[in-house]
Amino acid sequence: MSRHPAPDELLLDYAAGALPDGPALAVALHVALDPGSQRTVDRLNAVGGALIDREPVPDFGGENDAAALERVLARLDDVPVEPHPRAADRRHSTFDWAPAPLVPHLRPGMDWRRVMGKFDEIRLDLPGDFHRVSLLRLEAGRGLPEHRHAGYEYTVVLQGGYTDETGNYGVGDFAVGTGDQRHEPIADPGEPCIALIVVENPIVLTGPWGRWLNPLVSRGWI
Amino acid sequence: MLSADEAADLIEAIATRQDRAAFSRLFQHFAPRVKAFIMRSGADPEAAQEVAQEALIMVWRKAASFDRTKASASTWLYTIARNKRIDHLRRNNRPAIDTDDWLTVFAPEDEDADKSVLAGQTYTRLKELLGGLSADQMLVIEKAFFEDKTHTAIAEELKLPLGTVKSRIRLALARLREGLERDES
Repeated sequence: MSRHPAPDELLLDYAAGALPDGPALAVALHVALDPGSQRTVDRLNAVGGALIDREPVPDFGGENDAAALERVLARLDDVPVEPHPRAADRRHSTFDWAPAPLVPHLRPGMDWRRVMGKFDEIRLDLPGDFHRVSLLRLEAGRGLPEHRHAGYEYTVVLQGGYTDETGNYGVGDFAVGTGDQRHEPIADPGEPCIALIVVENPIVLTGPWGRWLNPLVSRGWI
Repeated sequence: MLSADEAADLIEAIATRQDRAAFSRLFQHFAPRVKAFIMRSGADPEAAQEVAQEALIMVWRKAASFDRTKASASTWLYTIARNKRIDHLRRNNRPAIDTDDWLTVFAPEDEDADKSVLAGQTYTRLKELLGGLSADQMLVIEKAFFEDKTHTAIAEELKLPLGTVKSRIRLALARLREGLERDES
């Protein structure tokens, strides 16, 4: 169990299917890596099942119902019953640190891109979502430029770890940053720190270069 | 009516021998319930019917991934229907990766050791515990599941401070945790 689980209310949003894709992906990755949060989500899903069981419904058996069933049965001719998948089918050939829910989002040809000479980034494209969703990679001892957020920022650690003013975060840990916080994460010793970061609104850099770089951030160039 | 055990038997019959009669019984039981559930989010009857049908077809496709020792048939159906609702209601006009491919990954057979057991008596117990939640707590939970709203949106709608909604959710979950863990020990 991780030291920094996602808060209960976010796990409820996730289990209810209410989160936009970016934050939902962050929570999905955290849940895949954290048995404690997995257990909470399993319970919440069971609450969803219980609510379906409680639905008072009219009897099935009218003409429309029978016709609907016939149409669906006809469609099954083209739908095979799939064999149970194996875990190995869910692993990415290059990015072996990627938990299963991330793999469908890693399209062929995606690769790290150096940003400001300081860290590497892969920008993920989630159609229709207004969040900025990125994988970041930081070498041991390197830091991200000090910044604050205009909105929420969700971080899940996928490899290595980092430390900032709020604590130390390892694989599976989940951090929620809010608009009023400034922070300056530094990667821990050892293998590079890889994290998924989901930002509601563009980040505002607060260091000496911020004045020059913020316009580029807001245009999505860096 | 269909008991949880009967429903699980039917899903296994699909997995082992593509049993169409079993599918028909599952459809008759679950399609109207899933449709009613989806309509609570404001979807019109046709859209809700379509989501229910898509969900039941997914039950057919993925029947081999169902594990009756880990989750009840209703819970499994809920997660499938939820993903279909996301695909249908939010993604009408945009190509995207199917929610089923990542949001609830159908657990591979050799990777589900961490999944908790919420089938059989534990599932029945969870339903009892749900009945014991306060009206305030239940209101927030139902709004989340039925109306597809985040806790932030619920707080705005109910004109409650965000902290109040968060603490209702945390208290509700603590009660479920406590009740289930007491049974386990």
